[in-house]
Amino acid sequence: MTVRLAVLWIAVVILAVAGLVPLLTMFLQSVVVDGQFNLSFYAQIVTSSRQWSLLGNSLILASLTTLGTTLVGLPLGILLGKSDLPLRRTFIFLFTIPLLIPPYVTAVSWFDVLGRNGLLSKSYPSLAATTSSWLFGLPGCVLVLSSTFLPVVMILTITFLKTVNPHLEEAARLSSNWFGVLKGVTVPLARSGIFLASLLVFLLSLGEFGVPMFLRYNVFPVEAFTQFSAFFDYGAAAAAAVPLALITCLVLLLEANFLREKTYQLRPASGAALQIRLGRLRNVVFLTVSLFCIVLVLLPLSALLVQSASQAAYTEAIWRAGDSLLRSLLYAAMGASLLVLLGFATGYLIHSRALGICRSVDTLTVVLFAMPSTVIGIGLISLWNQPSTTFIYATPAIILLGYIAQYTALSSRITVSTLSQIPVSMEEAAEISGAGWLRQVALIIAPLAKRGLAGAWLVCYIFCLRDTGITMMVYPPGRDTLPVRIFSLMANGPPDLIAALCIILILCTLLPLSLLAVVIRLKRQES
Amino acid sequence: MKNNEFYSNPGKSNPSGSNPQCGRLAALILVLIVLCAHCARPESDRGQVVAYVSEDQVFSEPILREFETETGIKVNAVFDTEETKSTGVLNRLVAEKNNPQADVFWANEPIRAEILKQQGISTPYVSLSAAGIPDIFKDPQGHWTGFSARTRVLVVHQKVEIPPDSIQAFTDPHWRGQGVIANPLFGTTTTALAALFTSWGGERAKAFLQELKQNEVRLSSSNGESADLVAAGEFAFSLVDSDDAVSRMRRGSPIRMVLPDQSEDQIGCLVLPNAVVLIKGGPNPENGKRLIDYLLSKETERRLALSDAAQIPLHAGVEPPPEMPPIENIKTMQVDYAEVAGRMQEIMPFLKEWVGY
Repeated sequence: MTVRLAVLWIAVVILAVAGLVPLLTMFLQSVVVDGQFNLSFYAQIVTSSRQWSLLGNSLILASLTTLGTTLVGLPLGILLGKSDLPLRRTFIFLFTIPLLIPPYVTAVSWFDVLGRNGLLSKSYPSLAATTSSWLFGLPGCVLVLSSTFLPVVMILTITFLKTVNPHLEEAARLSSNWFGVLKGVTVPLARSGIFLASLLVFLLSLGEFGVPMFLRYNVFPVEAFTQFSAFFDYGAAAAAAVPLALITCLVLLLEANFLREKTYQLRPASGAALQIRLGRLRNVVFLTVSLFCIVLVLLPLSALLVQSASQAAYTEAIWRAGDSLLRSLLYAAMGASLLVLLGFATGYLIHSRALGICRSVDTLTVVLFAMPSTVIGIGLISLWNQPSTTFIYATPAIILLGYIAQYTALSSRITVSTLSQIPVSMEEAAEISGAGWLRQVALIIAPLAKRGLAGAWLVCYIFCLRDTGITMMVYPPGRDTLPVRIFSLMANGPPDLIAALCIILILCTLLPLSLLAVVIRLKRQES
Repeated sequence: MKNNEFYSNPGKSNPSGSNPQCGRLAALILVLIVLCAHCARPESDRGQVVAYVSEDQVFSEPILREFETETGIKVNAVFDTEETKSTGVLNRLVAEKNNPQADVFWANEPIRAEILKQQGISTPYVSLSAAGIPDIFKDPQGHWTGFSARTRVLVVHQKVEIPPDSIQAFTDPHWRGQGVIANPLFGTTTTALAALFTSWGGERAKAFLQELKQNEVRLSSSNGESADLVAAGEFAFSLVDSDDAVSRMRRGSPIRMVLPDQSEDQIGCLVLPNAVVLIKGGPNPENGKRLIDYLLSKETERRLALSDAAQIPLHAGVEPPPEMPPIENIKTMQVDYAEVAGRMQEIMPFLKEWVGY
């Protein structure tokens, strides 16, 4: 076996141990009761009206969120990616903030706006009860999840618009205005990316549990969490996850048939991209986007700031959660590094099709990414909670395994996309001249892919840092992270303390991004 | 062009033969391995104690920190979230029965502690610090010991002129649609209902629950949320724990607290002490005992009384919180906690069905 195959197999085995085996363990527990094959958990789901209602709730929430983000994210992506709107980069940054922080933090910030004692209640006390009841339920969940996942559609739209051949748009412009060009040429050519974004939002909303739990909207992932945390019923929890897994697989099948090859080949089109000149509408559009940004992003963040505006709150926050904060940063950095290494291997495997199971590996990573975190957490506990594996179960290693299970798809897919832009001939030439595979990776592929890998690290870092679901379920004693601590402090914790902790978490997420932006700008200025 | 240089002669840039990229990659992997190994290293058994805590983190953590400061023993804790209050860590303890990770369970009420005893997860420990605590709040075999109690209270919005004074108000048509209680599958609401099943018997308690439904009593996700809903005026009253009520009163919420069923012919209110348990086979039993001694001390009770938890001390001579009467002035529901624990497990299927699970 060559070194290349050995490394790829090791990566596959790690992924299987971290993600596949826990899932299979859970599935086994759902069909074996007292040593006998038994489908009673599934029978309960099929015959229980509550379960169908929960499934309906999950689908409605995911569908409405997808609809909302697509309807808003697509035009926003076009405006920010293709028009001459002022402050486009600033808008992109601001609209992306909700994606970078745990969704329930966004929910808390909206609570500080629309809640019974929120900002709105100060000016319009009579409205507060209505807005509060509106927030706690489906509308509130859709609002929070839409603002969280809007950047997914926006960023992918911007990215895929860059792949559209500008010559086609130029030709279309000869006979049509920009609206016609967008409708007839640009959007149809970028539709695979827009469709991919919608699928991603659908899957992410379907698996989300922190926001529905906080806003008291019963969905399937909350059910799985409850079955486990309240009753420790592994079998029922696993069975409760199966309908979601099936829906996820169906969606992925759709993606595999219609999109996969198209979304991997993310090459910018040759030639300068055409820009939409807004002309007289520029100011109106600018004001509209600004207003939208203020309401959707700045208002809830301001509410958090107002709520936390006391030195005592921040002092107590640091006293209570300083250690959790440091752990969060450490685990996120380690998780991201491991994910980039593993994702590079699986991404390389998928790109090069070096093993026959490359498609299965790709599907596995995506299924795990879309799987509710509660399910993965339960699977990990049931697998590793053994005396012989205490060195995993009782240490943060179990959190890192959770990150690998859930987020490898991110680094893997970014790697595939990055590798697809590196000519195969370079690797082949190095091979012909006698360079071993590790040498090829270290000297040719990694340096050429370093931007993509750095991006992958950053994305993974953010997702690990904001992770709540897995960490909350598996963290060893005394090793909680900041998002988990905020969640548990919410029980009777003073609102100003919770708000201060949320602000600290947001800053910790944004700080490395801001530093990176500064470094990139300085490098550009140098060159 | 840079790429072509790589392509034409990968080793040219470094005639010595060592490749900086390879070196960096190897260094990164090495650092990761070291960090992972560090993470996978269980902490030394000495100088630490593992506590699973269902008392609210905001109240319990300062006590644990104080213990750390005084003894130098590090406390590694797992806390319950609001939604799974007092059931999450309990069930984690049950799941870890054959592979115990915890030394001490700090329960926010004695019923879950009793369940651990019944399942063989706890081990007896009679602390000298518990000498002044009445026997009614202790397990006779020493598996758990109570301290710092809460009571179940009615929290009532101030706009209500004549507040209800009994839990029977939930079934009174006068209060139709104006009452809210926490989901009875979790937390102390389960305990309160199990206590009613014990006091009243199954039939009467089940009828009471059916009447609750008919009287349009709403369910919230937690006692804290119930108190917030009443404070916001969305409901007139609720049955919550005293700390939920006091913490909101101290924040200025427009609510008042009523100790229910205090007349002679009424059943009294349920008193729920915290309970501390030594876990059988825990990794640090001696440190676990020291933590238990600390938790059962008068000083801990005093601190919990002064904090927003506003818990009633069980040691004689420790001042109660200003909002609460001393324990001897409260008419308490006469229950055997062991019996309530047994009853609670029996009624869970009924409660699940009642809630709609």
